[in-house]
Amino acid sequence: MINKINSKKVMKIALIVYAVILVTGILFSIFAKLRLDINFSGGARVAYSYEGNLKQADFEKQVKTSLGKTDFTLSQNEGINGGAKTYVISIAGNKSLSTEKQEKLTNELTEKFKKNKVELSESNSVSSSVAGSFFAKSMVAIVLTAILVVIYVGIRFRKIGGVSAALTALVALVLDLLVTFCVCAIFRLQIDSNYMAVVLTILGYSLNDTIVVYDRVRETKKYYPQVTLEENMNMSIKGVMTRNIVTSVTTIAAVLTIIVVAEICGLTSLRTFGIPMAFGLLSGCFSSMFIAGPLWVCWKQRGGANKKKA
Amino acid sequence: MKSKRVGKPVFFVIFVLILALSYSAFFGFHDYFGDTEKTYIKGANKIRWGIDISGGVEAVFSPDKKGLKITDSDMESAKAIIETRLTGLNITDSEVYVDKKSHQVIVRFPRTAGNDDFDPQEAVDKLSASAQLEFYEGTEKNGTPFMTGEVVENAAYTYNQENGHCVSLKLDSKGAAAFYQATSNAAANGTKISIYMDDENISTAGCSQAISGGQAIIYGDFEQSEAEYLAKQINAGSLPFALTTDTTSADGKTTGEGGKLQIISPTLGNNALKVMLIAGAIAFGIVCIIMIGRYRLHGFVAVIALLGQLAGTIACISGFFPDTNSFTLTVPGIAGIILSIGVGVDCNVIAAERIRDEFKKGKSIDGAIDSGFKNSLSAIIDGNVTIVIVSLVLMGAFGNPDTFFAKLLSPIMNLFGSSITGSIYAFGYTLIIGVIFNLIMGVLASKYMLKSISQIKLFRKPALYGGKKNDK
Repeated sequence: MINKINSKKVMKIALIVYAVILVTGILFSIFAKLRLDINFSGGARVAYSYEGNLKQADFEKQVKTSLGKTDFTLSQNEGINGGAKTYVISIAGNKSLSTEKQEKLTNELTEKFKKNKVELSESNSVSSSVAGSFFAKSMVAIVLTAILVVIYVGIRFRKIGGVSAALTALVALVLDLLVTFCVCAIFRLQIDSNYMAVVLTILGYSLNDTIVVYDRVRETKKYYPQVTLEENMNMSIKGVMTRNIVTSVTTIAAVLTIIVVAEICGLTSLRTFGIPMAFGLLSGCFSSMFIAGPLWVCWKQRGGANKKKA
Repeated sequence: MKSKRVGKPVFFVIFVLILALSYSAFFGFHDYFGDTEKTYIKGANKIRWGIDISGGVEAVFSPDKKGLKITDSDMESAKAIIETRLTGLNITDSEVYVDKKSHQVIVRFPRTAGNDDFDPQEAVDKLSASAQLEFYEGTEKNGTPFMTGEVVENAAYTYNQENGHCVSLKLDSKGAAAFYQATSNAAANGTKISIYMDDENISTAGCSQAISGGQAIIYGDFEQSEAEYLAKQINAGSLPFALTTDTTSADGKTTGEGGKLQIISPTLGNNALKVMLIAGAIAFGIVCIIMIGRYRLHGFVAVIALLGQLAGTIACISGFFPDTNSFTLTVPGIAGIILSIGVGVDCNVIAAERIRDEFKKGKSIDGAIDSGFKNSLSAIIDGNVTIVIVSLVLMGAFGNPDTFFAKLLSPIMNLFGSSITGSIYAFGYTLIIGVIFNLIMGVLASKYMLKSISQIKLFRKPALYGGKKNDK
């Protein structure tokens, strides 16, 4: 068991690790091109009708061969009154499917599945379904959440200087969210509505984790008013560490279970949910103890020094 | 600092109540009269799932007349009008794409399996209606309108004491002239002016004098929400073309009746729902094993509380009672449940760890449980309130403008146009419900269950609460 924790020391190492993750993530998103879902980027939607039985796996394999490196998603449609069945290929990005490429795809598909009478039934080039105002609104919602959290934490933790505590909690939150983004970039996961769900979850989880740390600081201050803030923080982190580990292990185990079961059953679409989520949870647990806490201590110490000078 | 003892039966009472809630929330209560099923309580199988999980319906709309001059911004407004109508139809999970070249609008929304009240064809008809605003002299829809919605520059909801909730229209110069003409006729002859939305009369009113300046008002004995919706519908509805689902497609081929209305497979994959249920069940099982493995009896109590929390959340999503609508559950909605379960686990872990700490300090069973819960409360409350703040903002920012939280935030959010994102709203909804049930189950129920069960002689061993064996 660890006897003493030097949270500031750990923070220095942690900051380096975070910096490496962020730089790698940014490099990947610039050079390996971020994969956006058709919801966000718009793109091409091509539908092929067919007759009889045509397995999705077989169709998918042929599309993969014809399109080469282009990413696509495949879904199956069926006429509502027992009409024709179609496969719809969605390709994100507006210049992703040239006319030649589409012709090649059509020719190869009709050739390969002659029996099923595969035919091009529809071809659309669509703009993103997520409105431009969505992003503006998301930013406002995030800022508004941040302000309200700062106000609430500021009031509830006023005895230990709540506003600065809330601000460092937000720093940790931003880092956690960046980690989820970098994980998507590095693992080449598509940014889609699953990722949106991850961002929202980490938003709540990270804040909750940090609050638990501050709560212990508040309590430690009550019982040991004489200890310095840095000592207090180290004691508090030690006090909540078991809880943090148990909670994170449990939640991460649950998320990993979901990914593993989904992979076994061939449901690969949950990767964009599970993988960034697992890393986000890990980071959320870690950053609350070793980023938010010690950063706040540094802030308070500098503030104290400035006051003395003045 | 001794708190009141909790009686032994309390544990069993709460336990049975939670089991009953869980059974009814997961499986529901049904009765069969011959072939017809009567539902008293809706089980989890009545939950509406989003397109991502169980697929839905896709409709491809095209302008119903050929040779129209259609600009990109026309297509954008077509998208906006359809999005507004989708929420009007209570469809919160949807995707709307536009193809600006071939002038098609692709709409995808979930199809409610096992719900006979929901006819996708009817929904599609409503989405494609032109919603044309027309103004007639007289009380009937006779002859040609003296002006239409095209002259409306902007519609806004207003309230005045005389007429209650109404919609004010700002007309362009052409509209202003026509309206002045019509109102002066009406004032002179004592006749009325009627306003129609498609074929429905929404307002008939007389006027005492000619109105100039291009301001018209629709009085119609509206509720506030109706007037607000009407204003939005008019703003979105001033479209130069109506849409249809069955017409010649881009490549000239004619498709038959309903040919452009298709059933779509789940965007996550064909077996998404089944796999997610299995994965969820196993994940819950693993959480239970970890909790019981580490916290023994307290872990068992925590598992019951978590079950209660999950059941309560499911009940609020399915609607529980036969005449309440189910919420549409998408992956973000499920993420909300996962986070709230995570918070529930956390709440039990915090309390259990505190109790262990108290044992280490050498406290008795009752003392350790008492102060363990007491010490953990502030962290749990502050953490939960923070999460409630997050979910309220999300619900306000991305919900249907008619909902309470959206109205609360409307002064800020209206600056950014309406962008209803059902899936984010769903996250906020499931999260806030989960957190409320966490406060009921994880904080209250588990405390009383543990205090009660610890009174039973068989269970008066610190080791059962994660304390050391030699503790007393």
